[in-house]
Amino acid sequence: MVREGALSGFLGPNGAGKTTTIRVLLGLLRPTSGRASLFGLDCWRRSHRAKVEVGYLPGDLRLHPWMDGRQALRLFGAIRHRDLMVEGRRLAEEFNLDLRVKARQMSRGMRQKLGLILAMAHRPRLLILDEPTTALDPLMQEQLHGHLRELAAAGHTVFFSSHTLSEVEQLCDRVAIVREGRVIVDAGLDELRGRSRREVMIRWKGVVQAEQVPPPFLEVRRRDGQTWSGLLAGSPEDLLQWAAGRPIEDFSVGRPDLDTLFRGYYRQGGQAP
Amino acid sequence: MNRGLLAKSLRDVWFLTLLLGAGLGLAEALLARALPRVQEQIGEILSQLVFVQRILQALLGTNISGGLGPEMIGALAWVHPVVLALVWAHAIAYCTLVPAGEVDRGTIDMLLGLPVSRWQVYVAGAVVWLAAGVVLMLAAVIGHLIGCRLSAEGLRLDPRPLTMVVVNLFSLYVAVGGLAWLISTMSDRRGRSVGWVLAFVLASFLLNFLGQFWPLADRLSFLSLLHYYNPLSIIRSGRWPVGDILVLLGLGSVLWTVGGFVFARRDLSTL
Repeated sequence: MVREGALSGFLGPNGAGKTTTIRVLLGLLRPTSGRASLFGLDCWRRSHRAKVEVGYLPGDLRLHPWMDGRQALRLFGAIRHRDLMVEGRRLAEEFNLDLRVKARQMSRGMRQKLGLILAMAHRPRLLILDEPTTALDPLMQEQLHGHLRELAAAGHTVFFSSHTLSEVEQLCDRVAIVREGRVIVDAGLDELRGRSRREVMIRWKGVVQAEQVPPPFLEVRRRDGQTWSGLLAGSPEDLLQWAAGRPIEDFSVGRPDLDTLFRGYYRQGGQAP
Repeated sequence: MNRGLLAKSLRDVWFLTLLLGAGLGLAEALLARALPRVQEQIGEILSQLVFVQRILQALLGTNISGGLGPEMIGALAWVHPVVLALVWAHAIAYCTLVPAGEVDRGTIDMLLGLPVSRWQVYVAGAVVWLAAGVVLMLAAVIGHLIGCRLSAEGLRLDPRPLTMVVVNLFSLYVAVGGLAWLISTMSDRRGRSVGWVLAFVLASFLLNFLGQFWPLADRLSFLSLLHYYNPLSIIRSGRWPVGDILVLLGLGSVLWTVGGFVFARRDLSTL
C-alpha cells in the first residue's frame, strides 16, 4: 500500500522483482496470485482507466526511433487527450534537453530525460519510476530529486524503484524492500530506523582495555585493535552508565543508515536487524 | 478511436507504404506496358522453361501450354510473383509490428504505460493496416492504368473486372495480414514472427504449385490462400468472386480477432 502524497522507495537487488511488480501495476503482467490495484481500480482489468492518473518511466527506456522530443510530446498528448507541450517544454528547459533530437540519435541519458519529461508532463497523481537515475549524471540526479520532492510536496505520489540506497534514503518517506517477489518490509524510514538496534562504536585508549568482556546489552560484532563495532540491545542510558569512568577515547551511538538496514532486513528475511 | 494511437500507427507505416506502393505501382505499370508487347515471346520462353510455366499455371489456375491469350496476359499482371511479393511484404512487415515488433524493440512499455487498452492499440493498428492496404491497391491500379496508357497495344481491362481483381487481391492481403497479426501476438520477437508468416505463405504458394502435378496436393489446395485468388477466372467470367473474397476476408478477420484476444490476455515483458 502506497500512501497518497508520499515519496516511496522500492528497494531490492537485481532479480528481486521490482520491475515485475511495476509491470503488474501497469497491467503488462497478470498477477499469478493476489490482486494489484491503482486508485482502487484493478491493474489487470481496468488498467487503462487507472493509468489516466499515472506517469511511468520504464527501467530500460526505449522510444520509437523516428520520434523526437516534440513529436513525442504531441503524440503522448494526443493519446492522453491533453496538451503536454507547455509543461513538456518547461521541463525540457529545466532538464537541459534539446527536444529536436531524434530518439535514435539520443544518448541513454538524453532518452532518460525525455522519458522523465513524458512521464511528468501531465502532472500525474502517481508517478512510477523504475530506476530513474541510472543513466543520469549527478547534477541531473540532484535536479530530479528536487523535482520529485516538489511533486510530493504538492500532493503527488511518487513510487520509484532503485538499488541506490543513498538516493532512497535522501528522498523517501517510506520504503518497501522486496525479496524474491515478496515485500518483506514496508514502512516509513524513521519507523524502520526506530525498529532497528542502534549502532555503537567504541575506541579504547589501549589495546589491553579493548580485550575486556562487553556488557550483555552490547553485541560486539567486530573488534579491530582498540575499536569495537556492534549493536546496542539495551537503552543508551545503560550504555552511558557502563561507559562512565572507563578508559574510552572515542564513542558514538547512532541509528543505522539505510544501507545497514537493507542488508540486515535482507539477510533476516524481513526481521529487524 | 484514439487519435494519438492512429497517428502513431500511421507514423509507423507511412514510409513502408510509400515505398512498397511505389514499387507496386511501378511493377503494375511495367507489366501492363510490357506484357502485351512480349506476348508471343512469352509463349516461346515458357515452352523452354517448363518450371516457370508451371509456376505461372499455378498462379493463373489454368493450363497455359497452348500459349497466353489476352485474358491470360491481363491476369498475369495481377498474379506476377513481384506483385504478390510486394503485397505480402507489406502485410507481413506491418502486421508483425504490434505486439511482436513493439515488444522486440522495447517500446511496448512506454506505449502501454499510457492510458490505453490493448484492444485500442490493436484496433488502431488494424485501421491503419486496412487503410494502407487500400492505398497499396490504389497504387497498383494507378500504375496499371498508367502502363495501359503508355502502351499502344495496352491491356484493356474494363473497370469492372479490374475492380473485382483488385478487391480479390485486397482480400488476399487481409488474409495474409490477419495471419501475421495472430502470429505476432503470440511472439516477442519480430524476426521470428516474420519467419513464421513467411513459412505459412510460402507453404501456401508451394501447395498451389504442387497441385499442378501431384493429385494429393491438388486435393489439399483448398488450404492454400492462393486457391481463393483467381484473376483469370474473374476476367473470363466477369462475375464477382464472392465466395473467394468471403473466404479470404473471413479468414483474415477470424485470425485478426483471435490475435486480439491473445494480445489482450497475454503477459508482456521486454526483459
